[in-house]
Amino acid sequence: MDRNQLIKWIKAPGKMGQKYSLHVVYFCTGCGIIEIPPSITARWDAERFGVMPVATPRQANLFLITGYVSVKTLKSIIRTYEQMPEPKFTVGFGSCPINGGMYWDSYNTIKHLDKYIPVDGWIAGCMPRPEAVFVAVTHLWTLIDKDMADGYKKYRKNYKYYRANQEKLYGKMEWPPLFPIEDKKGSSP
Amino acid sequence: MNIIWMIFLPIIAFIIGIFFLGLSRKIMARIHWRYGPPVTQPIIDIIRSFSQRSVSHGILFNLGIVFSIAGSIVVVLFLPFGKICPLSGSGGLLVILYLMLLAPLGIALSGGEAANPNISIGISRKFILALGYEIPMLFILLSLMTYYKTISIVEIVEAQQNMGWSIISLPLLLSGISYLLVLPAIMGIRPFEVVGAPQEISSGPMAEYGGQFLALATVEHAFSLFIGIALFVNLFLGGSGDILVPVENFLTSAGLGCIVSFLTGLAFSLKMLVVFVICLFINAVYPRLRIEQAIRYLWRWPTLFAFAGLVIVLIVGR
Repeated sequence: MDRNQLIKWIKAPGKMGQKYSLHVVYFCTGCGIIEIPPSITARWDAERFGVMPVATPRQANLFLITGYVSVKTLKSIIRTYEQMPEPKFTVGFGSCPINGGMYWDSYNTIKHLDKYIPVDGWIAGCMPRPEAVFVAVTHLWTLIDKDMADGYKKYRKNYKYYRANQEKLYGKMEWPPLFPIEDKKGSSP
Repeated sequence: MNIIWMIFLPIIAFIIGIFFLGLSRKIMARIHWRYGPPVTQPIIDIIRSFSQRSVSHGILFNLGIVFSIAGSIVVVLFLPFGKICPLSGSGGLLVILYLMLLAPLGIALSGGEAANPNISIGISRKFILALGYEIPMLFILLSLMTYYKTISIVEIVEAQQNMGWSIISLPLLLSGISYLLVLPAIMGIRPFEVVGAPQEISSGPMAEYGGQFLALATVEHAFSLFIGIALFVNLFLGGSGDILVPVENFLTSAGLGCIVSFLTGLAFSLKMLVVFVICLFINAVYPRLRIEQAIRYLWRWPTLFAFAGLVIVLIVGR
């Protein structure tokens, strides 16, 4: 943890700020949210890493997809993700967002979350323990350091691809595109 | 000299306010038996917010938050900080009472532009709460003005250095107790955290703030913390303090005026720290009231005490 190294703060204040002030959206998609209360309260205390839950997506920069993603929830997830200010990071929590998990043959569960929004990292397990959240956070720090947590840039660059996937699922979307969709064909990231 | 203090005093107020914000998170964590974030965490949050791309909802949305910070800075200039008070010659308590409503008004203007229902609920709660604590507050200030026969806050502070703190002088005791009872409501901490309740209304007026707006809102929060506590310390705990008077006289006669302002500022900050930590303990213990419960409480005991205090001051006099 290089939180107290002043030279790094002077060199890249924005990057260091994003590393040590990860504010998480309150958004429970599935059963995985049950691991979040112990990890933010007295037992595991996520606040010492600067990880704090906030109530609105506008104030947040980390989005934990906790648990399985149903088709209905995905709509809210996309809206919440688009409301967050850039730079923003997404972490899939549990095995369900990765490949459907135990809902692998469900007609109503999203098996490939990263076709709809970009995901910077995954935490495997069913359930992952609160320690796994901290491992993910420290791993996210190294990714931010190396500029590899660039999901939001991918979303902007390949917005046409993501929007097409979303529209394939929902038909006509209720809200206008976040970014102007260019004419050139969007490619898979 | 006044001009220099006009620039430096808001900076000092900001540093003290942001330190208190960080300290509050650390102390709350220790009360929960957690390790807690570092004291510098609010500064880290501000840097992070400034580095984020934010969404604006219109011109009034941008200007309202600036208006709110400007209102807070003006109040800071009217409050004596130790021996320093750049705008001591003008206004007094009435101006402070009037200007203290500018900060929530700016937030309300800004939030109204964003048209989020949570913000509307938060703003209406803020003004209902202000209605709740302004009535005992007016009684308290009236009894102070009657007792000291002045409306100038600087003269009230000076009078306390000769006559002892207001809160231990007998006619003002009830007013002091009443002020202590409404202090959490003025600062908006936990029994009265109805305005920015994150779990109920998505942090209320702050719901649409992201990026730079969130950073500015945090700065405004730091200022409002400073103002809430500094007003109490000035009115009831004797400003920078009467213990320091002989030291001050000695140093002033030796021609070391700047050390005097530093020492008085330090004493003032220490008193603020004590009041703030007491408020934090209240914040840690109590759950949140509903808005109508808060109003029922504020209009019952604090108002009763403040009114009784005013009657006593009017009868006893000076």
